[in-house]
Amino acid sequence: MKPARLLRWYPRTWRERYGEELLALIQDTLDDGRPTWRLRLSVACGGLRERAYHAGHAGKAAVKRAGSRWPTILVAGLIFTNLPQQLKMSLPPARAGQATVALDVLAAVAAFTCVAVLAGGLAAWLAVFRFLRASGWLKIRRQVVWAAAATGPTAGALVALSLTLRSLSSAPLNVSLAGFLAFTATALALVITIGLWAAAVAATARHLKLTPRVRAVELVLGPVISTAVSVMVSASTIWFSATQASVPWLLVGIGQLVLLSTYAPWRIGRAARKGRRLRAAASGRTTINPSAQRTNGRHRA
Amino acid sequence: MAPSGLRKANDPPLLILVSLADGPKHGHALAKDIEDFAGVKLGPGALYGAITRLVERGLIEPLGSDDRRRPYQITPPGSAALAGALADMRRVTRAGLARLGLDPA
Repeated sequence: MKPARLLRWYPRTWRERYGEELLALIQDTLDDGRPTWRLRLSVACGGLRERAYHAGHAGKAAVKRAGSRWPTILVAGLIFTNLPQQLKMSLPPARAGQATVALDVLAAVAAFTCVAVLAGGLAAWLAVFRFLRASGWLKIRRQVVWAAAATGPTAGALVALSLTLRSLSSAPLNVSLAGFLAFTATALALVITIGLWAAAVAATARHLKLTPRVRAVELVLGPVISTAVSVMVSASTIWFSATQASVPWLLVGIGQLVLLSTYAPWRIGRAARKGRRLRAAASGRTTINPSAQRTNGRHRA
Repeated sequence: MAPSGLRKANDPPLLILVSLADGPKHGHALAKDIEDFAGVKLGPGALYGAITRLVERGLIEPLGSDDRRRPYQITPPGSAALAGALADMRRVTRAGLARLGLDPA
């Protein structure tokens, strides 16, 4: 076995930083001999430790990100778990207008979000095409296969649930335990599938070489889409408050919108300024590779 | 665990700091030096795992080099952490020797 192959045990970012040094040390230790089992074990254990360490750090970052969004997740979860009961309830007449407006806003923002996501994809399609032509598929196939595998059952469950709800629309919905579990499982499958596709998109984006102009567009679209999703959650909360005739839930929904109206413009503005700086800084360059930038930054640190 | 992460006498991070206390060294020189003064043979995986953590904590830093064998040097925080860890060990060592009746002082 070639000494260089031993480095496969280590994460890619670690290899980029320390790989050559470790290889030099292994070769100095070997003196042109073959790697002993003891040396292989030492390198393998070291590599696995680094992978565990990196995974731990990534996990902590993910928990931190999720932690900052817990109110949104909580509200969405409450609405999802209460939806079957709400579907069989007729709206109080005084709240019908509120529910209609909330649902209209929800539908409009959902349509806008779809357009924004498609725009983000279209802006980067050329870079994606080049990436795939350069054997990029091998780098993302695991994430895409997982996401595709999850999509089939989730789509099936959604269609089944939709047909069931439609058949029950003229009659009170029987909220049995089985129905509740089916609804919860479908919602969970949907969340997992969206998460897997998001991971696949993130994995692809890490490898793309975007022009400064496209990178600036993507930088702005990120907070715009995130804001749109938050508005959808707020609209859902207000609709939910109408079905419940609940003033506290209405205040929660309005509070979310007030917070968004102050936070979102600042966040989008910051992304726009960053995009402008990026384009100005890259005036002498043609492409920007975000993963390379991150790696270089870490090296300097 | 101590704030510096240095716990016991045969910890790879502690051995690396002791080895770098008298000047910069690259990986192979570190491994040989540690084997000489401590009798501990560190494998490449253990050595570079410890180097990675020490660099992250700012206790050692790489020196510029065109060679693949990049040397490392101890930083002022690294020196302070090493001094603290050695002082702790000296206190324990003195207490142990005194209780065994082996302390000449």
